[in-house]
Amino acid sequence: DSERSAQPPAERPGERRRAEMKILYGEDASKILGMETAMQLTFDRNCDRKQPKYWPVIPLKL
Amino acid sequence: MNEWREKKPQEWRRYVNNEVKVTAHEKQECQGWVFTVDPVSASVVLVNFQDTGRTCVTVVMGHAVEAVEILKEGGPEMEERLSSLFMPTGHHGLTK
Amino acid sequence: GLPELREEQQARSLLRQRYLRSLLAMRDAQVRFRMYERVHVEARFGASDIDVLNFQVSDLQTPIGVQKEALLRCPDMISYSLEL
Repeated sequence: DSERSAQPPAERPGERRRAEMKILYGEDASKILGMETAMQLTFDRNCDRKQPKYWPVIPLKL
Repeated sequence: MNEWREKKPQEWRRYVNNEVKVTAHEKQECQGWVFTVDPVSASVVLVNFQDTGRTCVTVVMGHAVEAVEILKEGGPEMEERLSSLFMPTGHHGLTK
Repeated sequence: GLPELREEQQARSLLRQRYLRSLLAMRDAQVRFRMYERVHVEARFGASDIDVLNFQVSDLQTPIGVQKEALLRCPDMISYSLEL
């Protein structure tokens, strides 16, 4: 069975984000993309390792 | 409703290196030198240099900002002083 | 026009880089958070996600005790502060 998918033709991962960043930041897009990616990686890694729970459980501001 | 968040980056940029008074939710007021305004969240990063030599940083979240008033313009010295803050130590290739 | 777009990009770029630098410099720092509903907490900062929606922190001192590992919602915050 072949998979039905609405996927566009294969996009390199992160290409859309890269394009969006280029519009937002122009020349400095790759530098900022690098900083943001590093930060997100740290965040994800810390969350994986430490398994933090939200505090407070119920949001203060809805 | 939140005009602050609707501003363009060029407008936010005009606040950088100036001393401002930020009024936040529930009439809370913060004063300090603007290091930056995050263009993603509109959060205002304020810096106060204390007599003790310590630097106090307060960040008011963009969604909580009600008003920002410029009190004083920082000169080239303040600009220099602010631009040297938060510099990563032991990192290579990071500038500005 | 194009010059205005470039000006907007450059401003956005400078502002964002500075903000990211400030977040990176906060790693392992003691940070005080002023939140809605008159809630004040303090914790050791770990990392932020890139959309500035969540802060990952450790040793969160809450009004009723310490939570070793926590996620704080940025929309719950009014401001946060620290000393360099």
